[in-house]
Amino acid sequence: MPMLPQRSRLSVLVFLLPPLALYGIAVLLPIFQSLFLSFFDWDGISPMLFVGFENYVRMFTGDTVFWIAFRNTLGYVVICLVLQLGGALIVASLLTLLRRGREVVKTLYILPAVISTVAIAFLFQRIYSLDPEGLINQVLEFIGLGNLQNAWLSDVSTVLAAVSVPEGWRFTGLYMLIIYAALLAVPAELEEAAKLDGASWWQTFWRIRFPYIRPVWITTTIIATTNALRGFDIPYLLTNGGPGQSSELLTTYMYKTAFTSTNYGYASTISVFVVVECLVAVGLIFLLLRRKADA
Amino acid sequence: MTLTATRPIRPSEQESLPRPRRRQLHLQRKLTGVIVALIVIVQVYPLAWLFITSVRTEQDFAGGNPFALPTEITFDNYTRAFATGNLGLNILNSLIVTVGAIVVIVFLGMMGAYALQVLGFRFSRFVRALFLIGIIVPVQVALVPLFVDYAAVNLLDTYQSIIIPLAGFALPTSIYLFSSFYEYIPGEIYEAASLDGAGPYRIFGQITLPLSVNTMVTVAMVNSIFIWNDFIFANTFVLTDDLKTIPLGLQNYIGAMGKVDWTATFAAVCVSITPLLLVFLVLNKAMTYSLASGATKG
Repeated sequence: MPMLPQRSRLSVLVFLLPPLALYGIAVLLPIFQSLFLSFFDWDGISPMLFVGFENYVRMFTGDTVFWIAFRNTLGYVVICLVLQLGGALIVASLLTLLRRGREVVKTLYILPAVISTVAIAFLFQRIYSLDPEGLINQVLEFIGLGNLQNAWLSDVSTVLAAVSVPEGWRFTGLYMLIIYAALLAVPAELEEAAKLDGASWWQTFWRIRFPYIRPVWITTTIIATTNALRGFDIPYLLTNGGPGQSSELLTTYMYKTAFTSTNYGYASTISVFVVVECLVAVGLIFLLLRRKADA
Repeated sequence: MTLTATRPIRPSEQESLPRPRRRQLHLQRKLTGVIVALIVIVQVYPLAWLFITSVRTEQDFAGGNPFALPTEITFDNYTRAFATGNLGLNILNSLIVTVGAIVVIVFLGMMGAYALQVLGFRFSRFVRALFLIGIIVPVQVALVPLFVDYAAVNLLDTYQSIIIPLAGFALPTSIYLFSSFYEYIPGEIYEAASLDGAGPYRIFGQITLPLSVNTMVTVAMVNSIFIWNDFIFANTFVLTDDLKTIPLGLQNYIGAMGKVDWTATFAAVCVSITPLLLVFLVLNKAMTYSLASGATKG
């Protein structure tokens, strides 16, 4: 549906080529290069060695770190999603009940999204630390639960949650804003009618409100999932994947393989896997949430 | 969630309710207010703590309880922060990268949307699908290839090396935001301009571009936050201190053997986040709107 009757092929190219060129160089070409490099053994200096599917075979069958990182990534995503989407839905619903102060709450709630990940990493390193006693451990002591004090980032059983929470905290405000805007758009008459029919708040929420915001919910879930799958900065800065591999994500593993072990070929193989994983995740979300909508 | 078992009520409805029920609703609303306040406090407390710590003395910080106000306010930490690092240079670098990338994102986004939405062409659906990939795919996939490419053309350790991927990955959202705005520009305006003999270039310069100012602001604001805070591209492609942006500069505060001057570090963190926080608070309404719409359109 072109809007301009008089347009030349040249004018289309003049407007389209610059953005397409930048996008091609920065995004499309690297994707293909990764795919290409994933079939080679290469340290960036010596000649590239074609190894076929060897990298893939090694990744799926011979590399325990890869599987640990994959499992950790799933855990990281789940914690982020629960905090971000669950938290956002609860706070947004509560906010619709408030009569005053909605704007203030919105502003304060989104503030963490403005802060850089490096600043957040510093902040949480100090919040979690045991020696010197950080915020969480001080609070535990303060409320008489001193025996629960822990070095949250050095304990293998808590570290994954500890590196996921800051990421969840950071963006929950953003998703809250989106969901809140969607909740405001639910027609009051619908809810009123349901209440007249004797529906409880809970029923009204799940039968009327939630189905109404479902399209926004799907979008938000997709954004939150793809963002969590590319999560890197905070785990990398807080623990660099450690202790051991207990907070290693696929992204941090890929980064270290590329820039610490300078194994560009194998790092690209992991990259390709991360891309496929993102595409599969988006596809799955569509399938699952769409089907429920039809049922 | 059970505590939220109440709903917005309209005043007229409230008046018709019997007294005890009204009291109950009143109580429920008070309770909701308290819960929201608590959640907000937990959410914002780490930030407040950051700022409070940055004006504490070291001894006060080492021994203090986290809820106490500082016994005395000191700005020594800020002096030490500026003395230790290179904050001025870092801020300048961040500004150059942010402004550079934003200009690219806004103008190329506008051009792309103009070609796709206003001019239109045969393969526009395919091109749109291509741009969608950039929204889904994680940025890490570009690191190794770009590092190799930059090394080949001598672009490592330049401003461009950070601006190119930042702009490239932000471009799809920018194009979608402009496109969805251009959808609402009525075709008659273009037809009239065409009848007056204006070609696609003049129409872009004299009609589309001036109308796009609001969307330009939206696109600029959404991206400025992410670009100002970018860590991964800068960390990968910047090799020398001269080009370090704020996020990288902050890392310098981890001293030898991981020993950290915490109060000075927190002062540096405060300096690094304050410009953006101020912009955010001043442009609060527009910014919140931009963030929400930028995120959903993407």
